[in-house]
Amino acid sequence: MSADNKKGLAKAQEIYNNRGKYARSLKEQGKKVFGYFCCYPPIELLTALDIIPVRILGDMDQPVTLADNYLPPVMCIFCRSAFDLGMKGKYDYFDGFVGAHACDGAERTSFIWTNYIKTPCNFHLDIPHTAHDAAVDFFREQLEYFQKELEKFAGRDITPDELRNATMAHNRQRALVREIYSLRKPDPPLISGTEMLTVLIATMGMSVHEGNLLLEEVIQEIKQRENVHEKKSRLMIWGSLIDNAAFTELIESSGLNIVIEDTAIGTRPFWHDIRDTENPLQGIAEHYLKEVLCPRTFRDSGKNYEHDSELRFGYLKDFAKHWKVNGVFANIIRNCDIHGYEVPVIKDYLNGLGIPVLVIEQDYSTASLESLRTRFQAFAETISS
Amino acid sequence: MFVAGIDIGSTITKIVISNGTEILASMATPTSAEHRRLAFRVMDDALASCFLSYNEIEYIVATGYGRINVPFADQQVTEITCHMRGINFLFPNVRTIIDIGGQDSKGIKVKDGKQVDFIMNDKCAAGTGRFFEQIADVLGVKLEDIGEMSLRSKNPASISSLCTVFAEQEALLRLSEGASIEDILAGIHKANASRIHSMIGKLKIEQDVAITGGGAKNLGLVRALEQRIGFPLVVPPEPLITGALGAALIARETATKLTPQQLKEKKAKRRLEAVTFFDDPKRGSEIVL
Repeated sequence: MSADNKKGLAKAQEIYNNRGKYARSLKEQGKKVFGYFCCYPPIELLTALDIIPVRILGDMDQPVTLADNYLPPVMCIFCRSAFDLGMKGKYDYFDGFVGAHACDGAERTSFIWTNYIKTPCNFHLDIPHTAHDAAVDFFREQLEYFQKELEKFAGRDITPDELRNATMAHNRQRALVREIYSLRKPDPPLISGTEMLTVLIATMGMSVHEGNLLLEEVIQEIKQRENVHEKKSRLMIWGSLIDNAAFTELIESSGLNIVIEDTAIGTRPFWHDIRDTENPLQGIAEHYLKEVLCPRTFRDSGKNYEHDSELRFGYLKDFAKHWKVNGVFANIIRNCDIHGYEVPVIKDYLNGLGIPVLVIEQDYSTASLESLRTRFQAFAETISS
Repeated sequence: MFVAGIDIGSTITKIVISNGTEILASMATPTSAEHRRLAFRVMDDALASCFLSYNEIEYIVATGYGRINVPFADQQVTEITCHMRGINFLFPNVRTIIDIGGQDSKGIKVKDGKQVDFIMNDKCAAGTGRFFEQIADVLGVKLEDIGEMSLRSKNPASISSLCTVFAEQEALLRLSEGASIEDILAGIHKANASRIHSMIGKLKIEQDVAITGGGAKNLGLVRALEQRIGFPLVVPPEPLITGALGAALIARETATKLTPQQLKEKKAKRRLEAVTFFDDPKRGSEIVL
């Protein structure tokens, strides 16, 4: 396909625009493709078997229709949208589906996915909701089951070396993504939030090796090009994921530059490396439970409210300091409970640091985006005054 | 120096023309789908009322729902910032602003003349002017009378739903049960005050609290809110124009920072013609004053 002739940002854009087409072209080359939900399933195990992990996303451009017969409308609309696409055959190229008990919405959706969307291989990954040692042990055992299931599918075992190499390749990807993040520290940033989103989504639909090549190209390209972005107030996004560039474009055309996003298509999957442990699954289990910081995992609280806030959100203070953040947009996809519950404490904590917070609960629909413009512009006016 | 602020709201278009220290002319006329495009005619009327010509206005700021692509404005600023500036000018001690507009309601927190936080209602007519329009219509009374009427109630009817459609049904139900229109209106105002209060409450209400926008002209709503919040609200003499006033104040502040040459260049780009919401310059130019 035409993405073959393109490089860097142009290639990322091309793949972002045609995810399904790109995945199908990989299958034509004889590759196996597995879909996975959210940033918790360890895709290192897929890579070890040369299976290409494709992140399951929804589509803000498409109204949810079929899913409403199976999932209640009070449930997270991102999950409903992803399931809706599945029902409409948008993910019919999957050789396998990895569901996860990430949040309740993802768990229910994963479960009924296996009932109604017939994918050749299904696995439901049980991810504990705490990060205690016992939980890590339990999760490591789940990963063993996961590995066995994958080996059954592939008809061969994963050697410890293969898993180590896969983990190293993904750690390399994490480092490359962090390098791009560091190029967003200057004012104006060298890469916009919209470009970053297309790059990350593109890498979440290709092999880790191709993804790493793409990231290297992007780094080279944005370092070399004349700075194309203008100075604006610097925004951090926290909360539910954003998977449509129309949303980031709306934000960045309202007087704001997105410089960092603590979301599932942002820093979360990339911020920490997996440690090399004697049993490689131990390092993987520890990483996903302890270092992927989505509020779906309950973390030990501190002595009191302030201490607890500091323990859980101190990393946002560091982001704000190093990326010189002027304000934070707390993005809540309607009925995303796990993020919604955190809003009062996040707001308190960041306001306490003198950082203004804009909270928007939105409908995950490009059709209703424009009505949010006034809020973003008013927020830009607030933080630039 | 003459400046102007134009606030094209969902329901009413407001204009303030100022010499920088006082309001020379102000105007508020209903906006309809077509009238919104024709806001330049309201501008023309406002100019005529204070004997000024369009070219004498040094700087024009547009705000409100219809602020986008106003060909005769030099700058667009959101109504949140403009209301804050307008209220801050009138009442420097106000820390919390409640704005009840035609189609939305907002809360704004102010500190040292700057806004620190704001909140807007979310895709729901409850607590907005539209809600009261609907209820007045259903009960067959005039919108401007409902506030006073609600204050005559001795026994407010219970209205539990805040959805405009269901509240309407509930109002009709209470009517069929024999409740008086005054009692129903009192219940409606109470329910809306509670809705607005819980939204503004997220901002942590601090005194003084001002109410502005069309809703501030409804005495029933103001009293119901005061009861709910627990202290009196500050009401501007003309609540409709605080956004346009704020826009005029920003216009003055911006204009004083620009050189005469810069102002001239800005002015040259202005066109006193119809507002085009969808960036369609052709459509705008068909209309001649």
